[in-house]
Amino acid sequence: MIIKKPAIFIYTYHPDGAILREICAGIEEEGVFYEISEQTVSDVDELSWLAANDSMLGSGVGVSGQRAALQMRGIEKGHNLEAYVRPTKAECRKLGANSARAIKKQPFK
Amino acid sequence: MSDIIAGVDIGNSTTEVCVGEFGSDGKLNFLTSASCRTTGTKGTLPNVHGVKTALKKAMSRIGKDTNEISLIRLNEAAPVIGDTAMETLTETIITDSSMIGHNPSTPAGVGQAVGEIISIEHLERGVSGTPYIVAASDVYAYEQVAARVNAQSDRLNIVGIILQADEAVLVENRLKKQIPIIDEVARIDKLPDGVLAAVEVAFPGQTVRMLSNPYGIATLLKLNAEETRVITPIAKSLIGKRSAVVLKTPGGNVRENVLPAGEIYVQADHPFSINLDEGAEKIMQKLSEADTITDITGQPDTNVGHMFSRIRHGMNEVDQSQDADIRITDILAVDTLAPVQISGALAGETCLEKAVGIAAMVKTQKLPMQEIAERLQRELGTKVEVAGVEAVMASLGAITTPGTKLPLAILDMGGGSTDAAVISEDGQVVMTHQAGAGELVSMLIETELGLGDRHMAEQIKKYPLAKVESLFHMRMENGQMTFVNDSIDPRFYGRVVLLTENGLIRMEQDIPMEKILQVRREAKRKVFVTNAFRALRKVAPGHDLKNISNVVLVGGSAQDFEIPEMLMEEFADYRIVCGRGNIRGIEGPRNAVATGLVLSYLGEKQ
Repeated sequence: MIIKKPAIFIYTYHPDGAILREICAGIEEEGVFYEISEQTVSDVDELSWLAANDSMLGSGVGVSGQRAALQMRGIEKGHNLEAYVRPTKAECRKLGANSARAIKKQPFK
Repeated sequence: MSDIIAGVDIGNSTTEVCVGEFGSDGKLNFLTSASCRTTGTKGTLPNVHGVKTALKKAMSRIGKDTNEISLIRLNEAAPVIGDTAMETLTETIITDSSMIGHNPSTPAGVGQAVGEIISIEHLERGVSGTPYIVAASDVYAYEQVAARVNAQSDRLNIVGIILQADEAVLVENRLKKQIPIIDEVARIDKLPDGVLAAVEVAFPGQTVRMLSNPYGIATLLKLNAEETRVITPIAKSLIGKRSAVVLKTPGGNVRENVLPAGEIYVQADHPFSINLDEGAEKIMQKLSEADTITDITGQPDTNVGHMFSRIRHGMNEVDQSQDADIRITDILAVDTLAPVQISGALAGETCLEKAVGIAAMVKTQKLPMQEIAERLQRELGTKVEVAGVEAVMASLGAITTPGTKLPLAILDMGGGSTDAAVISEDGQVVMTHQAGAGELVSMLIETELGLGDRHMAEQIKKYPLAKVESLFHMRMENGQMTFVNDSIDPRFYGRVVLLTENGLIRMEQDIPMEKILQVRREAKRKVFVTNAFRALRKVAPGHDLKNISNVVLVGGSAQDFEIPEMLMEEFADYRIVCGRGNIRGIEGPRNAVATGLVLSYLGEKQ
């Protein structure tokens, strides 16, 4: 039996370190767990979509290089809830926080 | 040859038209109707524009042009206009920033702590033995704050942290010791070093206990009886918060000012004057004992004085004749609480202040309806006449509701006023106009929820609420769940929304659905239930509600999804049959006056 921890999945492809770090901080501040795993696809839409579908909580983040996107299970691929190219620190935090709020059923920031 | 007759009713907020055709056999056939917003103040020339729009709308529905109308009948609008105003009675002023009542979404740690404020830059200067609360501005990242505090934690007694950035949990996860941490304090620069402060973070699911209790604050900050009395408004304003900070600044002071609200002078059969401070209930009771009121004024140079002169001024624009005799003949006062931003607050805190909302009925001799009629006739090239008293027309229209018979009472709940009329079997009409209706409800909702947006308040009044709980379902205000096939727009996720016929409207403010629901219902009850009883008692034979058997609700507010039910429940005790009208069996509670105007043409012709 495979047991998954209830966590937000972050699927990455050669991610920008600072962007990933700030996204994680955003999630941590909201008090939700996350798991990072490196993937072989580079398309950020694909990454976030896969992450959302694999996460038990249904919330996933994709980071490819300097692109970042937030996705939730049940939403079509490519229709990210939030997506940035070269996001600022505040945008990264917001994306992280929103991925957690999606689970807590709180309004997005 | 058939005549096409249009009835036009210009109301405080909407203009309604009804179009009927009289065949050569003298039979009346209703063709179409329409409504649109009243342009300008009721009874003024700018109304013409709205009337034309409504007529066009109605005629286009049957594929005809407005010039095919042979006669337009305008209502002789009652020369009364409703207006509303709000005055706060108390005001909390905080000098020298002595408190932060704060509700960040993610504070960290739990419990309470007392210590001296020390900014993170000066941490090295701290001496051992003194309890400290560290204040850190957002130039310090969470790792830096945690590292500095950890580095000093053996030497110094650090009991709490106040952060400017939204990083409380991040800092807490990196600390060696668990202490209460409050974040998102915008004006961190206002926290002076060396000042004694108390912080509290509530246990999950609870609200602060020590700092919302005057004696709790006194215990933590070692206050004497006099200081405790002074600090009470702070404790009051912290009720319900999840975290809070209170500072003890030597020069700091908090006052709850009672504003000089002023007196209301009522000229009536039994004249009296009453201070606004006495509250709405007292005012309304006195008012009901006063019998016929000839005029109401306010004490000059007070809030209420300004309020009444503002309302009077508005009416002046309508009736510009030199000897205009403008009187306020009725008011409806309602107690309310308004969240007002505290002057001197650090993080945008608000305090609930006592306020009174007032709707007033302003009366002049006659509205310049004739001028409107002339202008309309010139612009449309159609004969226009002013006909019939509003209440009589409304009654005529109301009788077209299936299942009604004379004698009948109607309650016309509009935007500006609540009017009541009783028609006896021989056609005698007794009527009254009362201040306070839909607009006062909107104002109460706007103030009590602190929206600062009248349009939004009106939407809240009109539509039921729901909370979007996932992208595929939402919970209605009555607890029912609704699932949707296509995912809901993420913009609505987790938010309270209004269910309108054109989709969802998002509430921007983070106010719980239960609170909005309660405020909305209370506002409607305070205005409409109070006014329905007041109005019907005035027109009822012998001023006894028991003498009324049937009440038909008409007007815009009768369309509301819950007001008619509220009234039905209240009237059930008096064995009164009460319900929403259904004009001509199709229009619902609207269009009563316009329909009455067309119907009355028949009578006048004979």
